[in-house]
Amino acid sequence: MPPLSPATLLVLVPLLPLAGAVLTLVLGRVLGSRAHLPAIAGIAAAAAVAVMLLLGTSSQVGSAHDPHAEPVRPVEMITTLWQWASVQDAYVPPASSAAAIPGTAVGGAGSAARAFTIPVALRLDPLTATLLAIITCIGLVVAIYSVGYMHHDPGYPRFFAVFSLFVFSMSMLVAASNFLVVYVFWEAVGACSYLLIGFWFTRPEAARAAKKAFLVNRVGDFGLAIATFLLWMTYGTLDFHDTLSADGTILPGILGQTRLADAGGIVGGAVGTAICLCLLLAACGKSAQLPLHVWLPDAMEGPTPASALIHAATMVTAGIYLVARSAPLFMACPDALAAVSIVGATTALVAGLIATVQNDLKRVLAYSTISQLGYMFASLGTGTLLGFTAAIFHLVTHAFFKALLFLGAGSVMHSMGNVIDMRRFGGLRRIMPITAATFLAGALALAGVAPFSGFFSKDEILASLHGKGWPNAHGEHHDAAPASHARRALSPGEARGEGATAFRVASLTRSPAAAPTAVLDTPQTFRVLFWMALVTAGLTAFYTFRAVFMTFTGPTRVPEEAGHHAHESPPVMALPLLILAVPSAVAGWWLFSSQWLAHFLTATPSFSAPAVTATAVPHAFHMDLAIQGTLAAAIGIVIAAIGHLGRRSDGPQMERFLGPLQTFFANRCYIDQLYAGLVVRPLEGLAIMAALFDRFVIDGLVNGIARLPAALGGVVRRLQAGLLQRYALAGVMGVLAIVLVLAWRLRG
Amino acid sequence: MNGALLELSPGMLLAGSVTAAAAGLWLLLPRGAESRVARSLGLMLGAVALAGFIVAGRRLGGVGEDAVFLTVALVAVVSGAATIVTRSPVYSAIWFALSLAGVAGVLLVLGAQFLGVATIVVYAGAILVMFLFVLMLAQPAGLAPYDRVCNEPLLSAVAGAVLLGLLSLSIGRLSSDASCCAAPSKAAAVQSMKTGSGATGSQQQPAATIAEPADADPLAIDQVARLGGELFGRHLLAVEVAGVLLLAALIGAIAVVTRGEAALEHDRRLAGAGGRR
Amino acid sequence: MTPLLAAGSTALLHNALLVGAILFALGLVGILARRNLIVMFLSAELMLQGISVSLVAWSRYHGDWGGHVLVIFVLTVAACEAAVALVFVLQAFARTGRLDAAAWQALREATLPRAVDHALPASDAVPPRWPRLARAGVEPPTDEDASLEREHV
Repeated sequence: MPPLSPATLLVLVPLLPLAGAVLTLVLGRVLGSRAHLPAIAGIAAAAAVAVMLLLGTSSQVGSAHDPHAEPVRPVEMITTLWQWASVQDAYVPPASSAAAIPGTAVGGAGSAARAFTIPVALRLDPLTATLLAIITCIGLVVAIYSVGYMHHDPGYPRFFAVFSLFVFSMSMLVAASNFLVVYVFWEAVGACSYLLIGFWFTRPEAARAAKKAFLVNRVGDFGLAIATFLLWMTYGTLDFHDTLSADGTILPGILGQTRLADAGGIVGGAVGTAICLCLLLAACGKSAQLPLHVWLPDAMEGPTPASALIHAATMVTAGIYLVARSAPLFMACPDALAAVSIVGATTALVAGLIATVQNDLKRVLAYSTISQLGYMFASLGTGTLLGFTAAIFHLVTHAFFKALLFLGAGSVMHSMGNVIDMRRFGGLRRIMPITAATFLAGALALAGVAPFSGFFSKDEILASLHGKGWPNAHGEHHDAAPASHARRALSPGEARGEGATAFRVASLTRSPAAAPTAVLDTPQTFRVLFWMALVTAGLTAFYTFRAVFMTFTGPTRVPEEAGHHAHESPPVMALPLLILAVPSAVAGWWLFSSQWLAHFLTATPSFSAPAVTATAVPHAFHMDLAIQGTLAAAIGIVIAAIGHLGRRSDGPQMERFLGPLQTFFANRCYIDQLYAGLVVRPLEGLAIMAALFDRFVIDGLVNGIARLPAALGGVVRRLQAGLLQRYALAGVMGVLAIVLVLAWRLRG
Repeated sequence: MNGALLELSPGMLLAGSVTAAAAGLWLLLPRGAESRVARSLGLMLGAVALAGFIVAGRRLGGVGEDAVFLTVALVAVVSGAATIVTRSPVYSAIWFALSLAGVAGVLLVLGAQFLGVATIVVYAGAILVMFLFVLMLAQPAGLAPYDRVCNEPLLSAVAGAVLLGLLSLSIGRLSSDASCCAAPSKAAAVQSMKTGSGATGSQQQPAATIAEPADADPLAIDQVARLGGELFGRHLLAVEVAGVLLLAALIGAIAVVTRGEAALEHDRRLAGAGGRR
Repeated sequence: MTPLLAAGSTALLHNALLVGAILFALGLVGILARRNLIVMFLSAELMLQGISVSLVAWSRYHGDWGGHVLVIFVLTVAACEAAVALVFVLQAFARTGRLDAAAWQALREATLPRAVDHALPASDAVPPRWPRLARAGVEPPTDEDASLEREHV
């Protein structure tokens, strides 16, 4: 069997789950309880292909353990499926703008007119490969779990169809090489999320939650749309990659290597900051950051496997992916970067605080997700290579242990007869040992206890924040001049696969942009953010182990709804838990010690931009930060143990010492109420006004016109009084009138 | 042929007379409260109107003819006006009888001897007596409250005035424009009869056996016989139909009365049982 | 020959037509205005008289029998009409006890109230017909339509 080219493999990754989804939709009724087979087959095949792609890309990147090797060259492969839109000679940009074709002048030798083209192009680079592997592998594990969890649900085929559709959409999102195609699949994952949150749509809470999720995501999508428009206006193209025009000139993509190699290629200033803030808005919507986080806790109305996959591991990471991919754009606007960090750290802290007083296990995990995503944003916003890679590292480890925790919660919920309020059960480790053990592993990872995976990724994030807050603390120096990394020659052999384009260096004669002045991007800001992150680490440990202790320790109590369900989950559900527990435990240590991921990711074009690589520091393990992080976690665990270890979960909680703050956090800081007052009520008022207008003015007009004949009739009716002589008089007068008219005409 | 004595155009004269007549009628018609002023004013206006009509009439050649015609016409018209204006229905019937006498007189002047007498006999002798019977049966008191009021007196008077104005104006135009209705000569009439004989159908009698149909000479000795010949000759079918009509009316009247009795009995029984409709 | 005797005399025609028209108009006013059924019929007969005069005038003018014959038929029809109409008048009187043309208002619109005589002097107003009540009864609202029923002729 001839080996398939990477391009074909890349297309197969989204295509196989799509085929699975279509088959499940078509054959779902026929297959009945076996409706999971096409979906799982598709996702499993896609997972295998994604792992193959990952290994293949990794081999291209080379080994990490050669510190004296030349700087990592970016690896990317583009394959264009078809041209979605193509308008030739759409407009002629000003000669000095970033949208102008380099090497051409208006009226010069080449044509300066730009075409509007949207190719459906997929890309393969380290970032994409990593995310594809995560999406498909975790998708596979969760799909296997769902076979057991959704076993008796009447919507069984629909679940798997939407599930596979989601895997397809998410894969396309991370593989797309054009902002508009990303937008399309951004919306698609939002739609799949809506379908899955509202899976049990007959429940009004689920329907409402699905609507809320979709509408809040819409606000973010608006940001992405504005960003897309601004990008088009600024750069004249929406492609990430460079394309070759018909006469051989290179049209630089927004994140293409020619533009990134040029120091002044990325536009900064007001326009650049606007683009970055719009992208940040989109990311906040999708990744549930302040102030658009309100949909994620309500999204727990959906089935737990959906929460595990979408709202923990994959969909919510789309925002992280977007910001990471657009790293060079952000690097040109330091204030936007700082804004990313501020939003992230603030969200992490607030979500952590809210999570401490939640009594619903899934809500605790939801707020924990928001908090961890905040960590990732905080890390991205540092604008250093360490920060970017740490965020992706945390994304990977978080995907594993959060999915594990959610599946464990699902296992608990399944046994307890759909009861998930922690105060109603307790001491479950005696009846569900596997679930308890794996949940504990995930909790340790989440809390950041060494040597579990979360510890390492969180440590790197803290290190990046610390590095920005105290720039010289560890003797790192950032090379401000990108000159040594500019204008590297790219060999034609970089590109592989059919349909790929070859690159040619074009001389860029644009002057470098002036260094932007930073308002938010100051070390003081990052010091504050560092302390916030540290406090959040302690809170994370606290609420995680509070949940663990309330659920699994103390006297064994089972609610009545459990009935005969109160036992360990069947193997089809327990096996995925065990599978996920392994990387939660060891992945962090392995990735950190081998530095494989960090090295691998630096080959991403976005991260190999000179602006980013200039911030690279030699890898080191900072013991002081590790101690600070572990101390915070330990304090949190101890306090949780004091309050909840071994006690009844419905007893007096120690959170009562918070006093009024507990009510404040229990009501989610009243943000939902704020939205209701600021947005929902005015809209309802507007709708009521429109309804009143419709009912009284428009309907009134129509009814009034209808009443006109009736009114006229009422007037005429009075002529019919029943008096015979009046009728006779009327008849006579009529006849006389006719005769008069006739006589008048016939006179003379 | 016009004997207009005044400088007013005939149209204006007629219009004025008609208006005066309408106003007079309106004032004279019973309108609830008795008002001597209204009655006298109405009478005066009526007189004025009559004068106007007399002036607008044509002279008939001799004073004698004028006087005769004027007398009978006045009797007819004034009695007719009194019929509709009197409050008491019994008086109204009496005035109607007088009006009938006047009309009979006019008919006699016009040379319709049989008809004049027939009017008296049939109308005054039979119909009017029937009316009086019913009146005495239904309203022995003679006067009832609803006899004192009218239904829309003004509009009725106006309608009558408009009608009268139209009619009199067209009559005036008729007689002043001689060409529009030239009297055909007897021979021409016979000629048209003979030529039109094929179209008129079986009603046509042979011209030799019956008296000339166009010969309505009032001074003829056998005028009534001629009328009879005309009736039973050309209009035989119509006469028979009229007879059947009379029979039908007779039977119908009896039928309604007897069924009406039964219905009344039925209603009486219902009312007696305690249910008011 | 004097115009009175000559056929084709326009003057006689004119005068007679005028008389006929006046009688007809008077009869019309009588029918429209008077409320007593008998007087209404008398006015109708008056109209018929006017028509008779006009017809005979034309007949005299043209010198033929057409008008005469028509008047005879008019006479016949008037007799039939009078007979039948008076039967109905008697029926109506038997039900309502009056000869008032305005007593029957059942053809009016359902939402309209009964028309009342405002011109009638109060002293001549028709007294209401009270139903027989129990000794301590309350005076009910009169319903003219229902109270038109008579128990006996």
